[in-house]
Amino acid sequence: MSPLANLSTSRDDARTLVVIFLRGAADGLSLVPPIEDDNYHRFRPRLAVKKRDAVPLDGLFGLHPLLRPLEAAWKDGDLAIVHGAGVEDESRSHFEAQDFMEHGGLAAGGWLARFLRARGPAGGPLSAVALSPTLPEMLSGAPSAAAIQSISEFALGREVKADFPRELERLYALEHDGKPLGAALRAAAAGTFEAIHRIEAIDAKAAPANGASYDEKDDFAQGLRQIALLIKANLGLDAASIDLGGWDSHFTQQTLIEPLMRKLAAGLAAFRQDLGPRMATTSVVVMTEFGRRVAENASFGTDHGRGGAMFVMGGGVKGGRVLGGWPGLSPELLDGPGDLPVWNNYRNILAPVLQRHGAETASLAKVFPNFALSPLALY
Amino acid sequence: MKRTSRREFLITGAASVALSAAIFKSVQGWLGDARQYVGRGLHRPLTGPLTPPPASEIDPVAHALNRLTFGPGPGDHARVTAMGVDAFLDEQLAPEKIDDALCDRATARFAEAWWEPVGEAYEEDDEALTPVLRRVALLRATYSQRQLFEVMCEFWSDHFNIDPGKGDCRYNKIADDRDTIRKHALGGFRDMLRASALSPAMLWYLDGRANVSGPADTPNENYARELMELHTLGVHGGYGQQDVMEVARCLTGWTILAKKDDGFSGKLLSPFKDRGKVVFRKEAHDDAAKRVLGEDIPAGGGERDLDRVIEIVSAHPSTARFIATKLCARFISDEPQAASVEAVARSFAESKGDIKTTLRTLFATAEFRGSAGLKLKRPFHFVVSALRATNAGVSDEKPVLSFLDKMGHTPFRYPTPDGYPQEASHWFATLLWRWKFAVALANNKIPGTRIAREKLSRELGGEAALLATVLNRQPVAEESDAFLKSGDGLALALAAPAFQRC
Repeated sequence: MSPLANLSTSRDDARTLVVIFLRGAADGLSLVPPIEDDNYHRFRPRLAVKKRDAVPLDGLFGLHPLLRPLEAAWKDGDLAIVHGAGVEDESRSHFEAQDFMEHGGLAAGGWLARFLRARGPAGGPLSAVALSPTLPEMLSGAPSAAAIQSISEFALGREVKADFPRELERLYALEHDGKPLGAALRAAAAGTFEAIHRIEAIDAKAAPANGASYDEKDDFAQGLRQIALLIKANLGLDAASIDLGGWDSHFTQQTLIEPLMRKLAAGLAAFRQDLGPRMATTSVVVMTEFGRRVAENASFGTDHGRGGAMFVMGGGVKGGRVLGGWPGLSPELLDGPGDLPVWNNYRNILAPVLQRHGAETASLAKVFPNFALSPLALY
Repeated sequence: MKRTSRREFLITGAASVALSAAIFKSVQGWLGDARQYVGRGLHRPLTGPLTPPPASEIDPVAHALNRLTFGPGPGDHARVTAMGVDAFLDEQLAPEKIDDALCDRATARFAEAWWEPVGEAYEEDDEALTPVLRRVALLRATYSQRQLFEVMCEFWSDHFNIDPGKGDCRYNKIADDRDTIRKHALGGFRDMLRASALSPAMLWYLDGRANVSGPADTPNENYARELMELHTLGVHGGYGQQDVMEVARCLTGWTILAKKDDGFSGKLLSPFKDRGKVVFRKEAHDDAAKRVLGEDIPAGGGERDLDRVIEIVSAHPSTARFIATKLCARFISDEPQAASVEAVARSFAESKGDIKTTLRTLFATAEFRGSAGLKLKRPFHFVVSALRATNAGVSDEKPVLSFLDKMGHTPFRYPTPDGYPQEASHWFATLLWRWKFAVALANNKIPGTRIAREKLSRELGGEAALLATVLNRQPVAEESDAFLKSGDGLALALAAPAFQRC
């Protein structure tokens, strides 16, 4: 292998963190219903997932039947679930809670950006990507983070004249140690050309590995497919983010979130299958700004709540478990107007994942300032 | 950009005459805006001599243009050659005397955003002001003739970095830009420091507004620490934890009026006008005696404690050395020699923090004169220098800013108070996006940005002159050969290693 085998030269290994944000506040009690908790069925006479329909998990919880594609990951111990996850912000406002969660409290810039900065200068042009039209706040302030629609953007572009790349490469190859910044510019250009060549070599039309199949018409699935292509091409991708929005289900919840659950499950299952053994060094975190009220409302929906569900898949997670406890749904335990409390601050779920991806204790304090971390035992 | 408060104007100017005048003005303004959106006329007129730099080395004129500006445009080398580098420096150090009509026109459509009083900014959509700040920063750097002033505004914006993404900074950073950074960028350091300490955005960003004294409250040290670590003495500048706590005590009570009293802020007097107004709450101030960096501050100082702190830290010898080191790293090299730093620090101390005097000393050092090409342009400098070199007309800044997003160097988007890094090592991963920007600009593929490539080449006297103008020196043989063979000499000149240096 060439010395540029992994372009992220300053990194000790090739780990990638993929963050999936379910925007609009996904109902954790539908994704991972506590099917054996009687209060759940009492609060949700029309919307509760029936015991007989759910994919049983651990004697208390089940998966929504539409999340059945994730059962394999659960059974392989590759999927951990945390309930009652969320932020301390009590506004129940999408904007404020997302802002708070992505910034990591009342801090400037995003937590993912601060994690990447704490690791030092970007290792290459592809160290962080967001598969979205604009950079999400969690990546705000990252060194070299690109919002892209497709990996084909990592090329000089169609306007470029045929002989241009060769001459560009030649000019940078002429840089030598005797020139100011010469050696560094030559090395940076060599790394960039290597990245461009590898992207060119990626056959974007080729079928995913291991028989995985991504929905051709679904942007979320196609985004995950692009991320998988980047990971498999060893381009030094440290972090990727992708959104799946539309979870704000005040009204006729099922019709709103059922298609989203299908997308989420199919996309994640295809991604895991496609990556195969690479899942061992790839962590996928699924998060949302808050959960929804325990009791259903009059219009077959649920209103804004507090605690939600978070998923951590791959990266060596000790899965097949719902972690972080479950105090139950007795009315006196609920928060404010009747919400699942937040008993697992989302930082305590992200912190161990970031540690897994190389964050040291000192840098975690910068990633999540003004917060006493007590990381959940995910590994 | 001072203007009457819209609210006050509508109330006091309710008389029909005044109103119709206002309507006339706004229609006029609207027509002006419409002309701007066409994006015409934003190219600098190429009137004087356009002779490109004659040498294949970076000559002293080219060096001065590389460092004191965001890059030369066509004709700049000839103009500075004619007037001399010293006169150019004199000119740039008196920005108020430089006519800046082109820049004023370029930014006119955003003049609305600089609300006075700052409280009125809170009426804006919460996503509205920060993009304006970023777009105006790009336009000013590109079109202003007061280039050294704009370079220093960028320098101080990093030094006193505030990310407008935090809390109310999204509304009041724009006032900090005007009242702290731009007001004092070439003025006195102590005045700028004081303005920063009392800037509503800084009070938000570093939690000064929540720094209160009371039976149940310990002071919030956030600002006090960064004041010494990042704004004045530097991390090893000789202060201790005790000094941080004492400075925090001195600054207790300074806060800003908020929408609702959250326990830190003063009572709001009127719904919008007074939001963000900086006030001193005597009852939240610790008025006992303090000791800061070896100096006693007697009890009963009240709001004067702040001025004592500003005096003590701005006059501290470590501050002179810290600011000098940062200025030398910006203008000379990432690792400036001790002798240069010492000379600049002495000048800073002796002039009591006069920024113009300090810069004059820096530009007079032998090390500065001998440092041609030692620095890597940061992405913002690269992008602006490319726009200036090609005399580009930018009528929509967003597509240009999205390139800067990808390079991780959008103005006012750095999350932590230390500001964007200066060192080259931080920026090497941005080459691909620089190259893409070069190709897109040269081929007019950036929406809202136009260059007149053929016309420019013709006016300068041919392709070779255009390329020498862009490089800010004559190309060497290998470069000329590569430009020719590439089929796109302009794009290659902008993408070349030579154009990444300054």
